[in-house]
Amino acid sequence: MTHAIEIEDLRKTYRSKSGTPVLALDGVSFQVPQGRIYGLLGPNGAGKSTLVKIISTITPASSGRAAVRGFDVARQPLEARRQMAVVLQQAAAENLLTVRDNLLIYAYLHGMARSIAEKRMKAVAEEFELGGRLRDTVQELSIGTKRRIQVAKIFMLDAPIIILDEATTGMDPLMKRRVMDRLRAEARKGRTILLTTQVLSEAEELCETIMLINRGRTMASGTLLELRKRTAHTFRVSLSFAQTNGELIGRLEALKPLELQVNGSAAELLFHGEEASLLGKLADISRDTPILQFEVRGPTLEEIFVSLMRDSP
Amino acid sequence: MRPITAVFYRDYRQRMTNIGFVFWDLFVPLAYLMLFGLGFERMMAGSSVIGDQIPGYTAFLLPGVLAMVTFTVAMNTSWGFFMDKDSGIFYELLTYPITRPQFLIGKIGFSVLLSVIGSLLAIVLGVVALDIGIRWDLLPLTVVIVVAGTASWFFLFSMVAIRLQRMDAFNTVTSAAYILLMFMSPMFYPVVDLRAWFRTVAWLNPMTWQVDLLRVSMLGTGSAATLWLEAAGLVGFALACLALASRALNRAH
Repeated sequence: MTHAIEIEDLRKTYRSKSGTPVLALDGVSFQVPQGRIYGLLGPNGAGKSTLVKIISTITPASSGRAAVRGFDVARQPLEARRQMAVVLQQAAAENLLTVRDNLLIYAYLHGMARSIAEKRMKAVAEEFELGGRLRDTVQELSIGTKRRIQVAKIFMLDAPIIILDEATTGMDPLMKRRVMDRLRAEARKGRTILLTTQVLSEAEELCETIMLINRGRTMASGTLLELRKRTAHTFRVSLSFAQTNGELIGRLEALKPLELQVNGSAAELLFHGEEASLLGKLADISRDTPILQFEVRGPTLEEIFVSLMRDSP
Repeated sequence: MRPITAVFYRDYRQRMTNIGFVFWDLFVPLAYLMLFGLGFERMMAGSSVIGDQIPGYTAFLLPGVLAMVTFTVAMNTSWGFFMDKDSGIFYELLTYPITRPQFLIGKIGFSVLLSVIGSLLAIVLGVVALDIGIRWDLLPLTVVIVVAGTASWFFLFSMVAIRLQRMDAFNTVTSAAYILLMFMSPMFYPVVDLRAWFRTVAWLNPMTWQVDLLRVSMLGTGSAATLWLEAAGLVGFALACLALASRALNRAH
């Protein structure tokens, strides 16, 4: 079966201004099946944007292969571009033109007929609360609104693949939620979504499969459940007491948690180690200071991310 | 909408947001014709510097003014790449389903329209106000040369604009090009009596080819042997600049 996106052993070396080669991608491989939301997660400079630039045909890879719906991005760039709508990390809008022209011209440049583009423009503008600003020139608008126009544009098209490079940066929370809901709906319809983000909660909430990337290398990939298994001995414990005091906090600190947060009568601890041994120690504490509530959870994506980052070379 | 038409429409919408800019594109060459042309016409009255075939300095200058129109319009249109870079849309455009040559050809559409309008205005001004006689039968050829010239200069300046990151660097390059290409050509004066090294540089200058071709189509002067060479040179220059500008777009990252 042809995957929506196939990346094979992709490498990219840039030459820095001083002339020294910089390895931006170091043998990255992954596949994204059609209709999935796939997240690329990593810190600044991890190689996420380079990967997006290669897939979207802006920059060539040094070696390896990238294909979208079977079209090799290096050999068949035009066919590859026809398969995707891309939102790049940098805010991009036609500043001198109106909101209306921004939406329409984007559609025209993707081959859409005028009559269809007009209808879509009205619907998309309403959905993204741009209906009242259609005649406004973009340079007069806020950065958040420009970002909204940039994201709204991709919904003018039916391209089977949507690529978003940190697309929700600068958006207000309500609009961010709306975009995420819309992306989920598009994936249900069969569109494939590749998104890069540094916002862990966004990836956790939206992505079915996540790849963690750092210094151009894949650190881990899989569903959230699979990633949790990678850090099986990391877990978060929430405790609630009648009240806390210095002695109790001292006893909790003696358990050597990775993190300890005490808030009033509640305490949150992040542990890495054997669960059974920890539970025994907590039972000892409970004999002197009864634990009123007790909850053990697997790590959040953020905790997995931090744990893998800590372990990466 | 077809890719080239869509790019043309985008450029038209963008350029029409600043009518003043468009006006100056057309007005500056006309000002040269009226001010520079008339001043030198008076000064050179009775002089044989421009030869016997051409009736006066304004007639000599008119084809050069048309070349100036193409040069100025192309330069100002290619400056738009910096607006695209500033707004962030430049890299997004590279992800659209348009080939790099289609993008560049679409972008010259509006420039060509402006150049043709500017050239026709200059011709009308020359004929009506300055009493210059031109070859109306060769007007279609004049239009073809104006189109080829606009394309050549636009592709050349686009290549520079795409490669450079800083607008001030681009302005320096275009200012230098303005002086060197226009003044080291027969746009304002004949080069035949100038020093050998200057004549050599002028003969290698595509602006010379364009001005010579325009003098043939507008005034009927020139040698057939060199004109074919210059025509081939101008077409070759346009195609080479298109290829180089497309390559620059492919490496724009």
